[in-house]
Amino acid sequence: METPFASSPSAIELPLAGKILADRAVAIKVIGVGGAGTNVVDRLKMENLDRLQLTAMDTDHQALSASPLQEKILLGMDVTHGLSAGSDPAAGREAAEADEEKIAAAVKGCDLVFLVAGLGGGTGGGAAPVVARLAAQAGALVIAFCPLPFSFEGGRRLKQADEALRGLRPVCDAVIPLPNDALLQAAGAGENALSSFARGDEWIGRAIKAVWAMLFRTGLINVDFATLQSAFPARGGKTLFGLGSGAGENPAAAAIESLRLCPLLATAESARKADRLLVHLTGGADLTLDRVSEIMTALTAQFGRDAHIILGAVIDEALPGRVEIVVLGTSELGATSRRPFSAMRSRATSAPAAAGTVPGGKPAKAKAAQDEFAFGGAAESRGYFDKTERNLFEGQDLDVPTYQRQGVKILL
Amino acid sequence: MLSRTKFIGAVEIGTSKITVIVGQVARGRSLSLIGLGECPSRGVSKGTVVDFKAATECVHAALEEAERSAGARVGEVFLAQSGAHLEGFQNEAEVRVSSADNMVSALDIENVCGLAKSKQLPEGRMVVHHLRRPFRLDGRLVPDPEHLDGRRLEVGYWTVHGQESRIADHLHVIRGFNVRVTELILSSLASGSVMTSADDRRHGVLVLDLGAGTTDFVLYRDGCALLTGIVPVGGLHFTNDLSLGLRLNDQDQAEKLKLRHGRAVVTTKDRTEKLWLNGDLGIGDRQFPRLTIEQITAARARELLEVVRKKLGGNFDPEHTAAGVVLTGGASKLAGIEDLAAQVFDVPARLGEPPGWVGDHLRAPGHSTALGLLHYGLGASAEGSAARRPATVGGLLRKFFTAGN
Repeated sequence: METPFASSPSAIELPLAGKILADRAVAIKVIGVGGAGTNVVDRLKMENLDRLQLTAMDTDHQALSASPLQEKILLGMDVTHGLSAGSDPAAGREAAEADEEKIAAAVKGCDLVFLVAGLGGGTGGGAAPVVARLAAQAGALVIAFCPLPFSFEGGRRLKQADEALRGLRPVCDAVIPLPNDALLQAAGAGENALSSFARGDEWIGRAIKAVWAMLFRTGLINVDFATLQSAFPARGGKTLFGLGSGAGENPAAAAIESLRLCPLLATAESARKADRLLVHLTGGADLTLDRVSEIMTALTAQFGRDAHIILGAVIDEALPGRVEIVVLGTSELGATSRRPFSAMRSRATSAPAAAGTVPGGKPAKAKAAQDEFAFGGAAESRGYFDKTERNLFEGQDLDVPTYQRQGVKILL
Repeated sequence: MLSRTKFIGAVEIGTSKITVIVGQVARGRSLSLIGLGECPSRGVSKGTVVDFKAATECVHAALEEAERSAGARVGEVFLAQSGAHLEGFQNEAEVRVSSADNMVSALDIENVCGLAKSKQLPEGRMVVHHLRRPFRLDGRLVPDPEHLDGRRLEVGYWTVHGQESRIADHLHVIRGFNVRVTELILSSLASGSVMTSADDRRHGVLVLDLGAGTTDFVLYRDGCALLTGIVPVGGLHFTNDLSLGLRLNDQDQAEKLKLRHGRAVVTTKDRTEKLWLNGDLGIGDRQFPRLTIEQITAARARELLEVVRKKLGGNFDPEHTAAGVVLTGGASKLAGIEDLAAQVFDVPARLGEPPGWVGDHLRAPGHSTALGLLHYGLGASAEGSAARRPATVGGLLRKFFTAGN
């Protein structure tokens, strides 16, 4: 008998051996959806990373024509007539659905898609889930970065963003919400808006760069695409994301400290435990294995001892005496198998992995259980104690259920 | 003579219920428990009164019920104190024995105690207890140093203090019933005194009173209370965790599940076993995995005990706690809690048993604080610590009653 994937006609058609030998021909695409997403991707353009393709998708013709990117896709010409979705996610979704072929063509052949979409708006909130779904159907690993609106932008946008986030989670391998409020937290007094936003871009940029560097740059410890994929075994779970960098006398310790203070982690008190942890270290030529081990010990203590850890470390000559850490963690809490799409995956690279790990009938019901897992403070429910003051002990609010804070997975 | 028989009410204003026990004290010696009044509480959160009017109504209802069942009017009240506003610190002092022949005099003892208690409190705080630890004479423990021979006399105090306004609220609730509060007693000390024997306390014992809104603890060593503390987490947190985790809007249903199926340690291995919410096959009945319920309650229980252990810090060590952990309070009914306590504290643990003279209707763990109030309030004089009382607590109480008029 043939092996399961050899029997699939698509696998035979593809020149399997050639694919593997063609030196890590992993296609990565960064897609900005909507105004905010496109802006971020535009700015990424500045740092030239080879083999990284950038694409902008928007419903607003004017904004799109101002973008310096090569590949630009105008969504829903027939629906919105190139005049933006006007903050209406329904219009954004309709526009994207009208142009499914265009999107599918853009994501075709991608192994890894980074989606950047501001969820408060119409196009970002409405179209992003459609793009994510199509990319996933095309066999790509989809990681979404989603800037969330400031709380001062009002309840409606926040609510929209929350709904969009919920729509996005089941179709992406990882969704990383970036509350703009965290930008405020990180901003020093008197810092102008431009540099605050630039920091938000930098967060996204560094995360993308870290994954890119893990795959393409040769370093101390390399990670291949299949390993990367194994970090995201399920959809709809919660994702942990943090950055830290340090310089000075002991850059490793400083980087750990800076990571600990990262506002993106500070908000997610409840979500500090991860099942799978992707850690990327970048250091100057003076990065020693000792330092790497020191950092890893500190990280496992913080994010869960039992976590399955994927470590990548890269030497960058341009960073003498500096250490940068990027942490991406996933947890199976409330996640569903991401295999619903596996049948549609045609690419040989993903087929064996899919065949090997079909989960033994995980109930689809589990999805609803924790789907509402929102980000940070909002996720922490206090129920009966809602109206009382916070009950703090060692930085934790004891009124919030223990199982939530400790990330205990529960079935329902 | 009538005046030789007193009727004392022990009042605990708890988060879930108000308990009043009436004790009859004949000739200042023998105590009989003659009345009980209980009322679900309202307006109390985590051991503190937050809604004065509602709390007052409940307390008065409970007092009335107790008086009715006792068939007598309560003349004075011992009141339990709990709540996160209560804090404690330790302060130590030492003096050189003054007399030429190195014999400790009563004045030396008074001096050293005065020094150890002299620490200033911040504005708006008042002392609830000065708990004296054993005297040390030239480094050796002595129960009573008077007339003993030595050069250096040391003593330590654990001072418990609380926010004046909160304590005043509690006093006013009782005062509205037109009865005097003669003693303010920390809930943990009350429970501790009745749930442990003098031997336990000499060997070292930790008492945990797991209430609805707070967990009060007291650590005894060498026969004295070494330190006390309060964690504002109790049985209601278990209920709340379950109602959030299982998505039950009704806290009563969560409470029911907690009482029936909650466990302090996960024992079930079967991931598929389900439990019915009501079990009456009615409309709206739902099923939950047993594992989930156990996981939620076990996570909370372990965390709670670990918080207590952290709060005890270096003061707790298993070697000096030979009598182990004693658990009491309503939330100690959670199955398996003693096994968990044994694990977390690394000493034997058991559920508290009130002394034999307590009648069957008062033996439930939820009554231990009220029972202990009478026991501690009356027993304190027998244990030789009466001298320090009127000067502190009584004085402050007078202050309240005159200022309030």
